[in-house]
Amino acid sequence: MANREYDTFILSDPALLQEDREMELIVRELTPPDLRYKYRSAYVNAMISKSETKYPDRLWIRLGRGQLQEKPWSIKILKELNKLPKESE
Amino acid sequence: MENYQFYKDNREFIKALESHGELVTVQQEVDWDLEMGAIVRRVCEKRLAAPYFKKIRDYPGFEALGAPLATYSRLAIAMGMNPKTSIPEISDEYVRRTTGTPIQSILVDRKKAPCKENILMGKEADLFKLPGPMVHDGDGGRYLATWHFVVAKDPETDTVNWGMYRQMVFDEKTMVGPVLPFSDMGKMFYGKYVPKNKPMPFATVIGCDPLSGVAACAPSPIPEDQFTGMLMGKPVELVKCETCDLEVPAHAEIIIEGEVIPNLWIEEAPFGEYTGYRTSPREPRTVYRIKAITHRNNPIITVSNMGVPTDEGQLLRSFSLGLEMRKLLESQGIPITGVYMLPESTHHMVVVGVRPAYSNIATQIANLVFGSKLSPWFHMVIVVDEETDIYNKDDVIHALATKCHPIRGIRKYEHSVGTPLYPFANPDDRKWSRGAQVLFDCTFPLDWPKSDLPIKVSFNKVYPKEIQEKVLKNWKNYGFKD
Ligand SMILES: Cc1cc2nc3c(=O)[nH]c(=O)nc-3n(C[C@H](O)[C@H](O)[C@H](O)COP(=O)(O)O)c2cc1C
Ligand SMILES: [Mn+2]
Repeated sequence: MANREYDTFILSDPALLQEDREMELIVRELTPPDLRYKYRSAYVNAMISKSETKYPDRLWIRLGRGQLQEKPWSIKILKELNKLPKESE
Repeated sequence: MENYQFYKDNREFIKALESHGELVTVQQEVDWDLEMGAIVRRVCEKRLAAPYFKKIRDYPGFEALGAPLATYSRLAIAMGMNPKTSIPEISDEYVRRTTGTPIQSILVDRKKAPCKENILMGKEADLFKLPGPMVHDGDGGRYLATWHFVVAKDPETDTVNWGMYRQMVFDEKTMVGPVLPFSDMGKMFYGKYVPKNKPMPFATVIGCDPLSGVAACAPSPIPEDQFTGMLMGKPVELVKCETCDLEVPAHAEIIIEGEVIPNLWIEEAPFGEYTGYRTSPREPRTVYRIKAITHRNNPIITVSNMGVPTDEGQLLRSFSLGLEMRKLLESQGIPITGVYMLPESTHHMVVVGVRPAYSNIATQIANLVFGSKLSPWFHMVIVVDEETDIYNKDDVIHALATKCHPIRGIRKYEHSVGTPLYPFANPDDRKWSRGAQVLFDCTFPLDWPKSDLPIKVSFNKVYPKEIQEKVLKNWKNYGFKD
């Protein structure tokens, strides 16, 4: 059973995406405990699969102009990456 | 100097909208996630009154105003004019107010600045504490800034710029958006900060008074705070930022302060855009990191919803692009009779009326406007003579379809500056902001013999004055209502 849900935008052909390999992507959080944080984006290292059940969390796929794909994939987030500059204050 | 009626903040404007029947107060709670956007979209498509949302899910204490200026009557109200004022009259008033001496802003004490009622710094300055709406399903994120402006300063000349550049929330501290290279802030940031790898202080102003919003999306060379002063007939009241030496309107609802980060890019978009499509690609765009949020008590955010006509972006950008063109053409002594850009064209098509005083005057007009700062934003110029009413779509379509020769009347301009938002452009052109433009010359050539000139067959043109008067006098007697 999916614990959390995320989505991501795939700008190339989704068929070409590498499954089951650690990769970097931007995901948006769809089911945060505090609902005000819905759609928060983050750079993560994760494994993904076209199978809906292989990894613990559900991953929805959107194409470059926002088109939602019918079937969700699954994702295991390994860690959130800190790509942005540290707070200056 | 005359004192215009003006609204120093959005709250007074909301009251004025209400008193003119241009406001619907929505007491029922609405969801920031799509519902609010959908309501605003339908309002734009049906040209309805502006929705004022009193309750937003997950965000008690916040309110929102949708489609604040999406009709000419709301623009007239914002200008302090009668909501029924005609477009040419609003246009003349706008040109009159914005020609002449700019009005310098004044600085007020922070105690007189309601935008300082709440100050959030450090961890408290968190973008998710503000009800940024998910405007359209499929957007790349929540667009907190859809009707707003970004304040920045030129590091060499200290010239202030207010520009409407959309901003998507990425995380608690980060927004991202397209700052196009030919925009004033783009030239400043990419030209003067990025080469030195220096962050650029910015302040985003959400829920400003209506005329500041008009100024921020107008392509005028006058610094927009002074331009606002000209529209108001009074100096704008500004107050110092908390974290940098920028100044922001004291009466605005929400201020977000921070820095634009050089040489760092985050993916932004897709977004439902003013062209009525989701066109510009999701791609790496300019990054804003925030340091502070200040806001009024019970702040009211503004929500614009870009899509098929008519939203305020289309209406006001058409209005100000057309009128800056008018100023340009008049400054060059071209005998124009008027300029009207159609909001329904998503500000892509402008109609210029001219007395065809000499041959190829349409080409001269097109060369001037396509050669100006205004040109990335439109690509069709229709030049008509004084027989055509530029404000009447039927009349313009009639002129275009009858007087424009399919070869001689059309001139194509290649290698123009464009924007990534043009739906007709190929993906590579979008990426590099390349466009193309076209002139439709609907004037008859001057070298035709007079006897060969087609004569317009209309009630006003082909009947003697006495007959017209007789018919009009007897109209009701014939049995017609009006
Ligand atoms: C709602 C709205 C959103 C806009 N978003 C952007 C944007 O993201 N980037 C941009 O470069 N211009 C954007 N524009 C256009 C600028 O606001 C417009 O070019 C304005 O004149 C900028 O002023 P400037 O001449 O000071 O750059 C937007 C306009 C509107 C009405
Ligand atoms: Mn500017």
